[in-house]
Amino acid sequence: MPEISEVPELDSSKISDNASKAPPRPEFDPKIMRKTKPGLKRLFLTHSVLFSFLLGFPFLWKSVEIYRSPLPFREIDSLSTHLRSNTLLFPLHFHAIFIGFDSDADRLRYSILSEISKLTSQNLKCFNNYSLSVTVDSGSRCLRAPITSPHSCPYQCGSITAIDFDPVDDVAVDERLGSVFGRKIKEYSVVVVKGENERAVVGKYRHAWMVVGGGMEVEMAAMKVAEVLVKVFVNGGREEGSIRTEFMPVGADGNIVLSFNLLNADPRDWVYDWDFQKIDETLLAPMIGALGPVANISVESQVLYHTPKASFSYWNQKLESHVFSTKDLPFFVNSNEWHLDTSIAAGGRSKILQFVVYVPSAKECPLLLQLPNGEISKTNGFISPMWGGVMVWNPQSCLKNSENKTTARHAIPLQDLENMFEVFIGQFRQLFGFRSVNVYAGGSGIWNLVPSERGFTEWELDVLSRQHTCFNLHSCATTLASLSRLVQSLPRMIIMDEIGKQVKYSLEAAKLAQSNASIGGYGFSTTSSRQARSLAEDAFFHPSIMSVSYYSFEHCFAVYSPFFLPVSMHVVLAALRELKRYKQEKAKYLAWKAKANASS
Amino acid sequence: MATFINSKTIFRLLVLPCLLLYSSIAHNSSSVEATMHTNNWAVLVCTSRFWFNYRHMANTLSLYRTVKRLGIPDERIILMLADDMACNTRNKYPAQVFNNENHRLNLYGDNVEVDYRGYEVTVENFLRVLTGRHETSVPRSKRLLSDEGSHILLYMTGHGGDEFLKFQDSEELQSHDLADAVKQMKEKLRFKELLIMVDTCQAATLFNQLQSPGVLAIGSSMRGENSYSHHLDSDVGVSVVDRFTYYTLAFFERLNIYDNASLSSLFSSYNPSMLMSTAYCRRDLYQRRLEEVPVTNFFGSVMETIHTDAAYKALSRKDSGRFKAQMSLDQSVHHHERRTLINVNDQDEILNTKAEDQQGASTCPFTSFYEKLRKGENVDSLVNYGLVAMLPLLGVSSWLFQ
Repeated sequence: MPEISEVPELDSSKISDNASKAPPRPEFDPKIMRKTKPGLKRLFLTHSVLFSFLLGFPFLWKSVEIYRSPLPFREIDSLSTHLRSNTLLFPLHFHAIFIGFDSDADRLRYSILSEISKLTSQNLKCFNNYSLSVTVDSGSRCLRAPITSPHSCPYQCGSITAIDFDPVDDVAVDERLGSVFGRKIKEYSVVVVKGENERAVVGKYRHAWMVVGGGMEVEMAAMKVAEVLVKVFVNGGREEGSIRTEFMPVGADGNIVLSFNLLNADPRDWVYDWDFQKIDETLLAPMIGALGPVANISVESQVLYHTPKASFSYWNQKLESHVFSTKDLPFFVNSNEWHLDTSIAAGGRSKILQFVVYVPSAKECPLLLQLPNGEISKTNGFISPMWGGVMVWNPQSCLKNSENKTTARHAIPLQDLENMFEVFIGQFRQLFGFRSVNVYAGGSGIWNLVPSERGFTEWELDVLSRQHTCFNLHSCATTLASLSRLVQSLPRMIIMDEIGKQVKYSLEAAKLAQSNASIGGYGFSTTSSRQARSLAEDAFFHPSIMSVSYYSFEHCFAVYSPFFLPVSMHVVLAALRELKRYKQEKAKYLAWKAKANASS
Repeated sequence: MATFINSKTIFRLLVLPCLLLYSSIAHNSSSVEATMHTNNWAVLVCTSRFWFNYRHMANTLSLYRTVKRLGIPDERIILMLADDMACNTRNKYPAQVFNNENHRLNLYGDNVEVDYRGYEVTVENFLRVLTGRHETSVPRSKRLLSDEGSHILLYMTGHGGDEFLKFQDSEELQSHDLADAVKQMKEKLRFKELLIMVDTCQAATLFNQLQSPGVLAIGSSMRGENSYSHHLDSDVGVSVVDRFTYYTLAFFERLNIYDNASLSSLFSSYNPSMLMSTAYCRRDLYQRRLEEVPVTNFFGSVMETIHTDAAYKALSRKDSGRFKAQMSLDQSVHHHERRTLINVNDQDEILNTKAEDQQGASTCPFTSFYEKLRKGENVDSLVNYGLVAMLPLLGVSSWLFQ
């Protein structure tokens, strides 16, 4: 730069020297004038570099952009608000039939409805809407309320009489009523009939019956009808209708693994084995099939040895056995020695329920459980919610085979095995919140419950379906809401396509479940709600959503700025400087030209 | 001694029915909303490696032994250790790790199941354990499979500082990362109550950003204080245990599985002059009173049990006609009785509530600016200001050196 500007100076100084003799030329001030037009090369060079930088900038921006799959935030919000406003309704149809009575059907209907509304609690997550129809069949005439019954199969008057109700054989009565009402119909019926032996039974399907004596008022019968409808058919025999999460042992991916363990406490005394395969096929398979919509159940079994228990028992002379009490139950499971959790079938989000048969050693045989009221337990078993159940089985004779040194290997007799599995099914029902006794003791009387070969009666499966659908849908909605809040709070986190797909399918399944629930399709709605929950959990627990792995904007800036910022600063400044210089030189040239024109 | 035992039993007999009544009433009134406490989990993390951090591994292993002895099984313990002490070439006692110079107890002796060892102990894996976001191939033994009714004990030891914890000399866990993970756990209902115990220097600062309810946090020292080791084992050549953990273990050695000392007695057993630091307990997020909470709520095992009254006799229908109604109508829910709570120590609580007081409002503007910086509410905007200020600085410097 200095060299170039020097040249005109020299020239002009020579010229001014020569010009001292010549006539006075116009004053040439090299600071503000120049004789030649300024060139564009320098300007072109610097601006082309600047232009290439500017051209490359959009490519850089695109390369550091993060991919976020678009999530349907509005639909997630609408699902949450939809569920919160309690619009999830299951339609329930009740039918009460009074045989041998002679009263006004409308009045009875009104009193039963008012009793039902009194018994239903209001703070539930999922409501049910009821419709009740009452039929009074007094032999001669048949009254119905309401007159037009909306259901498909109305009851034919006179098809049930008092002689159908055998007080001894409940199963036969149940079958008879089932053939009258139809087994697949989704309506809950209660039959009240006048007879000699008072008895109240709830059947395996969806009907119950009550034989009342002659002295009972029809109003009392109506109260009892309302109670069985609400407490048994709707709530499943539980006190409150709300859902307690410790009796929902279904895993987040909709799977349950039942792990059956046979524990030999001291194999030196005796070793017991069992024929699990046969029992699985005959006893467990129907129950697993019945619970198909609620959970996907798989079964495993193992036999363990050298597994002493952790609590103590004492010898009771009167009972001639070793006794442990309910206070010891929390310490019974010896988790250090009992290696129960060795399942290979269970995925990360499945629920494992352990069912343990404990065969005590010869030192503690027979081992009985004593209840706080002094009685001995009939089942010798207990459950722990969300964990599983334990049962103690004592060998037939507690005599140790001390003659020969080899350990005696026995198989558990089939009859004992069947009894054992009956206890297990009772425990499984307890883990789902039902009682293991076949009696419901309500405020106005006792109802006997007919057991089913599949472990759960039809109405119990309905209760499970309704509760699990409700729970799954609410869980799905809260999970998706948490996910959307999380994703919106981390604007620079990559959201993979897989997450977007899972959210979409989850929302579709939730919509399907809601529509199925409103028309009363219990099985389909439970399956869809289970899928919705499982997909929502998969999306929320996707391993790529870790905030530690994603860099904030400041980090990105700090990484790229040492590369580009100093260089770009220089380039920009050089371009500006060249522009300024060009303008200056141009101004100088123009000034000289003007002066030359003015002087000549 | 005999009279002492008698009076204790009489006290228990008198208080037991009252507590039973109270607990039954409380249970009935609040049974709809409160979840049952179903199990206990423990996550024990040792964040240091290398031989001179022997004491951190000894701390974690001692607590692991204590928790197992009091009943939590291996399947509900997640143990994260660098695990380079026992077979270290500098270890004079190979395959043995001690926490006391009397070498009475070999912590590494039997039945130690380490879930994350060596270089697997990273901040990312730790946060994955807490939030539950694992790859599908991770086995169940490496996952925290807690549910709404779980109480979780989280114990961390190592080197730490102001709002951070150093992981294996290469990365840090910051207090906001921990708070964020706990918030996500709470949203997903992965715990009912959480007890965090941290034994590092300036441990209390790690809890500054916690906001989720149901969290109780105990730190071994306050901001600006160090946590010291207890004693040096001249035979092994390094310090073998830290003071805070030593006194915690001393408290638990006096307990057995049936005991019911409360958390406040645990906390009051920390003596600042013996610890040479001030133990800190953050209890504003925890609703229950510490005197009512037994330590076995976190450190022991609990199993709510319900007796099975009857078998479900539908399957073997040999005599199909006779259906015998089971008339045993006793209450099928037998919650084991609430135990009385006794304080192991009768000292007054040496409790330091979270000190929000900034004593001595100083008039110097620099210190006030420093205080504002330290509070760090608008850290993001401050950083942005700094970045923007960088630009004219660059311009000026390149102009000057053209």
